[in-house]
Amino acid sequence: MLRTIKPKNARSKRALDARLPKEVEDPRTTVFVRGTHTGEVLNGVMRDLMALKRPHAIAFSKKNDIHPFDAASTSTASLEFWAGKNDASMFVIGQTTKKRPHGLTFVRMFDNRVLDMLEVGVESWVSMNDIKTPKSTPGHKPLMHFASDLFDTNPRFAQLKSMLVALFNGEVIDSICLAGLEYLISVSLAPSIPAPATMYPNLVTEDLSALPTIHLRTYTTRLLASGTRIPRVELTPMGPSLDMRLRRHTPADPELLKQAMRTPKLKKTDIEKGLGKKRKNIEVDEMGDVRGRVHIGKQDLGKLQTRKMKGLKGGDGEVEEQEQEGQDGDEEEQDGRKKKRRRESEEP
Amino acid sequence: MDVSGIIASNAAKYQSITVEKETPLDVDAGLLIVTDLNPIDEESHNANLEDHLQALARDGVQSLVASLFALPTQRSEDGPLAQLPPPTTALPRAKPLPKPKPPTKWEQFAAAKGIQHKVRDKREWDEEKQEWVNRWGRDGKNRRLEEQWITEVPLNADVDHDPRKVARDERKARVAKNEKQRLGNVARAQGPREVRKQEIERTLATSRISTASMGKFDKRLEGEKKVRGVKRKFEPTEKPLEDEKNASLALISRMGSDAKKTRREPAPEESVLNVRKAVRFASKGRGGVALGRSAAGGRGGRGGRGGRGKR
Repeated sequence: MLRTIKPKNARSKRALDARLPKEVEDPRTTVFVRGTHTGEVLNGVMRDLMALKRPHAIAFSKKNDIHPFDAASTSTASLEFWAGKNDASMFVIGQTTKKRPHGLTFVRMFDNRVLDMLEVGVESWVSMNDIKTPKSTPGHKPLMHFASDLFDTNPRFAQLKSMLVALFNGEVIDSICLAGLEYLISVSLAPSIPAPATMYPNLVTEDLSALPTIHLRTYTTRLLASGTRIPRVELTPMGPSLDMRLRRHTPADPELLKQAMRTPKLKKTDIEKGLGKKRKNIEVDEMGDVRGRVHIGKQDLGKLQTRKMKGLKGGDGEVEEQEQEGQDGDEEEQDGRKKKRRRESEEP
Repeated sequence: MDVSGIIASNAAKYQSITVEKETPLDVDAGLLIVTDLNPIDEESHNANLEDHLQALARDGVQSLVASLFALPTQRSEDGPLAQLPPPTTALPRAKPLPKPKPPTKWEQFAAAKGIQHKVRDKREWDEEKQEWVNRWGRDGKNRRLEEQWITEVPLNADVDHDPRKVARDERKARVAKNEKQRLGNVARAQGPREVRKQEIERTLATSRISTASMGKFDKRLEGEKKVRGVKRKFEPTEKPLEDEKNASLALISRMGSDAKKTRREPAPEESVLNVRKAVRFASKGRGGVALGRSAAGGRGGRGGRGGRGKR
């Protein structure tokens, strides 16, 4: 736990205020941490990911004894401490061991606590510098592309998607310069191998080798004239290119996730614009007039007065009498009301 | 002249900006994300990986760009700005939502009276200097009386009357008053003092009796009250099953009932209107009785008490 700081001058007060929770959040500042041993591959991968993430990236260049999936270690406390110190809400940790070579762990934080973690193993890698093509301007927002049905159906890949979006593109903006759409991060999967049917599907532990490889590619975009308003897009490989496989993960604690998913109440102007709650049965027609549709309840067809015919009268005499009595009572009441109204109208 | 080639190339161009897929692509324009939920084609994947990935990405980004260019735009110096819709993909936040600040006493009053917030510039136009000067702070205008080199002194002033000191004392008093009001607002934001005190005492009492010895050996705090009527009580080690069941059921019903709810009702709001002050203001300092009399009788001109005495 960090000590609470009381600002002594206006500058430090501004700096502290910038760290306070905001309704519309800034992009997640990401810390790139080296574990006890990173190899050449991981160093390169982290350098390239940092180049994409800049300026919201912080590098820890020294080695750190950190094992985020080891519950016995103090790694979670370290992450929380770093998050508080650097005002960072995301970590990318590189660690290579004999058992798990070239492991890259993404850690997402909420309120300076660890929300969820995801580890991938880098299988092959091409650096940004090895591909001799023009690069994007640092600080531009990427377009993102995810291709596979597993991003919707498999919770592991849904988490990966959410994590990568939070890393590269998590910031909510209200407008973007169309000329500034410079590069694309594309994540697609290898074709999924259908799992062999077993008699005891509940007993099967998750087999990581059955999960398809993840291909992460980056391209610069060229917008070419197509003769219409919408341009034709051409892609050029930019780098880095990564082939990865999913490894360990920690899903988010449901209670913490519920807190993290809270959305701010929409402002009145936004609701008037038609955002937020769907305004039912109200529409603006072409002339700009507001038109509403009103539901007037279901019509009771039992009380519908049809043509009176002698032949339909009679039958259950008692029931009819009761009904008539009831009607008379109603009439009396109505008369009373009418009289009252008359009196009221006479008074002034 | 053969134009079929031109037409064909034109058609190819148009075709390349439309993307046809079995499952339509899922575009989230707010976050610039496109998701292609079609299963991956194994054949093309195995044939040439890089080409397959690039073709897949191009299809995706083409439909994303199409939806982005269809958005309403605003002109700017750097080119058209597309107005993005709110994102549809839900992402967890990095920090909790900001808590609303409790309103100050003035803000409460202004809201009740419908007084609009007016932003006052920090700087003010100085006619003598013919430039903008700060209202307060460095070279502030609020210190003008203290700093001018000649000041008018009233005729009946004392011998030791110091107009600079008077002005300075007045300014310091205003600052002190503002600070006092600020501290009052801070204290009010934490809730009434009595309630806070009670809460602390309750917490202390609970923590005292939470030890096995009921706090007998704990350190005493200064001015701490002795907790009365709390004694150690031991249940018998052997107890009929029925009793145990009843105890559990009683606990559950108590948890569900309203009587012992953890969340307490909020304290009734104190009115923003100071009634005493309002009466004083409305009656011009004569009090509520006079105000009532003048409102009912309407013979305020003759003067209440004196007239009655003569009769």
